[in-house]
Order: sequence, then C-alpha cells, then structure tokens
Amino acid sequence: MDSGGFDGILVAAHELKGPLATLRQLALSFDEMDAEGERIRGEMVEVSERAIRQVNDLAKVRRLEDGLFEMEPVAVKSVCDEVSRELSYLFRENGRELSVCYKCRNGLVVANRELLHSVVYNFLLNAMHYAGEGTEARLTVREVRDKVRVDIRDFGPALPMGIWREMKRGFIERPKAIAMRPGSSGLGLFIASRFSRYMNANVGAVRHRDGTSFYVELLKSKQASLFDDFYN
Amino acid sequence: MIFIIDDDMVMARCVARACEKAGFSSRIFGDAILAMEALSEGLPEMIFLDVMLTGPDGFTFLNEMISYSDTMKIPVVIISSLEFREEDLREYGVVGVLDKSKMTPEDVKGYAEKYARR
Repeated sequence: MDSGGFDGILVAAHELKGPLATLRQLALSFDEMDAEGERIRGEMVEVSERAIRQVNDLAKVRRLEDGLFEMEPVAVKSVCDEVSRELSYLFRENGRELSVCYKCRNGLVVANRELLHSVVYNFLLNAMHYAGEGTEARLTVREVRDKVRVDIRDFGPALPMGIWREMKRGFIERPKAIAMRPGSSGLGLFIASRFSRYMNANVGAVRHRDGTSFYVELLKSKQASLFDDFYN
Repeated sequence: MIFIIDDDMVMARCVARACEKAGFSSRIFGDAILAMEALSEGLPEMIFLDVMLTGPDGFTFLNEMISYSDTMKIPVVIISSLEFREEDLREYGVVGVLDKSKMTPEDVKGYAEKYARR
C-alpha cells in the first residue's frame, strides 16, 4: 500500500475513534435496566470497545516508524490471560469455546506489552471468526529453544496458499481478504505481522486439514534465565 | 458548578449526565471562547476539557487559564481520545486525564466528588 493511501486510512481511523468513544459512553450512560437491557448495553460497550481497539491498532502501525514502542521484559502469560479475558465474552456470545494452555515454566519475553497484546488479540479474534460454531479455538504458550511461542489454533476453513506463504515469510505487505474465509479483510493478520516484525518476533501459520494455527515466536528475556537460576 | 468544554455535544452531555446523576450541576460549552467568556461571569469549581476543539484548542484555553490569578488554580481534567500523561500537564493545572475510549461515568463522578461541591 502506498503511503498516501495508508495515511488516508490513518486519518479515517482517527476520525472514527471519536464517534466510537461517544457511542460507548452513550451505552454506559443508560440508567439501570432489566436483564435484557443490561445484556444489550454490555454488547454495545463490547462492540464499540472492539472497534476502538482496531482503530487504535491501525494508528499504531504508522507510529511504528517513529520507534516509540519500547521493548522490555513482558510476561506472556499475563498478556494472554488479559486478552482471553477480554475476548471470552465474544466467544461465549458466538457459541465458541476458548481454551488456554500454558506449557512453559517461565514466559518472560522481549517485547512491547501493548504490541504483543494486539498480536494475540488479532490472532484470537481471527480464530473466533473462523472457528465453526460449537468448535473451539486453542491458545497454547510453550517454549521452543530460546523462544516462547504463542500458538492460536482454529478449526475453520483452510488458509489459502498465498496467505500461508506470506505468513511463512513473516510479513504481510498489505491487508487482503482471505478468499476461503468469508468476511475476512486480512486486517488483523496485517497488523499482527507488522507488530511482530517491530518486536523482532517470528510470525507464521501452519495449515491443518481441519483449520489453521497462527503463531508468534518471541525471544526469551535474559531476565528469565535469572529467574531460572533463582528457582533451581 | 462544573464546566464541560467539548465540541462533541453528545459526549459533553454524557459527561454532564454523569455529573448530574451524582448531584453536581454543570454547564456545557462547545468551544473554548464561549467558556473563556463564561469564566468572567463566575468561576467553576472544576473543568472537564477536551483538547481537540473547534477554534482555539484545549491548550490555548489552558494557557489562558494559568495566565490569570483567579483561574490558575481551577482543577482541570482532560478528556481526550489522544494520549496525554497527567504529569506532563500539571503545570497547566491539570489534575487528571481521562481517555474518552476507556472512561466510565464512575470516573467522571470520582473527579467531580473530589473537586466540586454539590
């Protein structure tokens, strides 16, 4: 995407943030309601917060160039817990299961917390969309040599070869719709790949017969080994 | 009395509603000039201020405020979609920053209870 086109998207993103924040505030302003009213209010807040997050992520893509996101030791578990808590409502409402499994002793990685949150969020949201109703999405965190890998598995339609190749290369040049995944704009994957590159993390996808796993691999923080020594 | 300065009238009314529900009276201003004029009629106990305003922006308003002895001590809470750090704005009399996309009526009530009188 040329920078002019992308700047246009950023302006649009910024313009959208105001009305979305106002909608959210309106929903929060209602007086106490019956159970159905409260449910609708909750959905309005949740939907507007999700839209605000996507708009914020878009704005962050441009800010990557300014290098404003500091890298620091980040506890992967706490980020994954936070994201799965945020999205559990959406999974439940859409009749999907979300399972989370931690298979590593110490998940302290070199990352930017805000960006890592967005990567996991976008992968998980993607999995929620494409996991068929009644199926589950699995978030697994495990150690792979000197890295920690966050793996998000869905049981949706297969990932087209073109997107798989781009993911294998670790970088998606521009958002593109995924033909076999109707309704997909590819924006989430685009954002996740940009943020991961900034953090020197590897992103990729594994094609399964019954779905796809998207993953991000982050360098373990050296502070983690200090903890290992302490606990051994 | 609480002043609410925001050119998004719907958002301003949400903030006013939160104040009202908590028992505080408020006035809404759609731009900084109207609010500055109102300051000469009577001082509010606190101000909720948006930054990106039509016409003079929130910082112009803050500069005006700190340049007069009677207004320099009025506590101001920034409500904005932009990211600001409270500590960077303290010299302008800013006592808090609310992110429009994350704040709740409870946050507004909290500041009103701290700085205004019912």
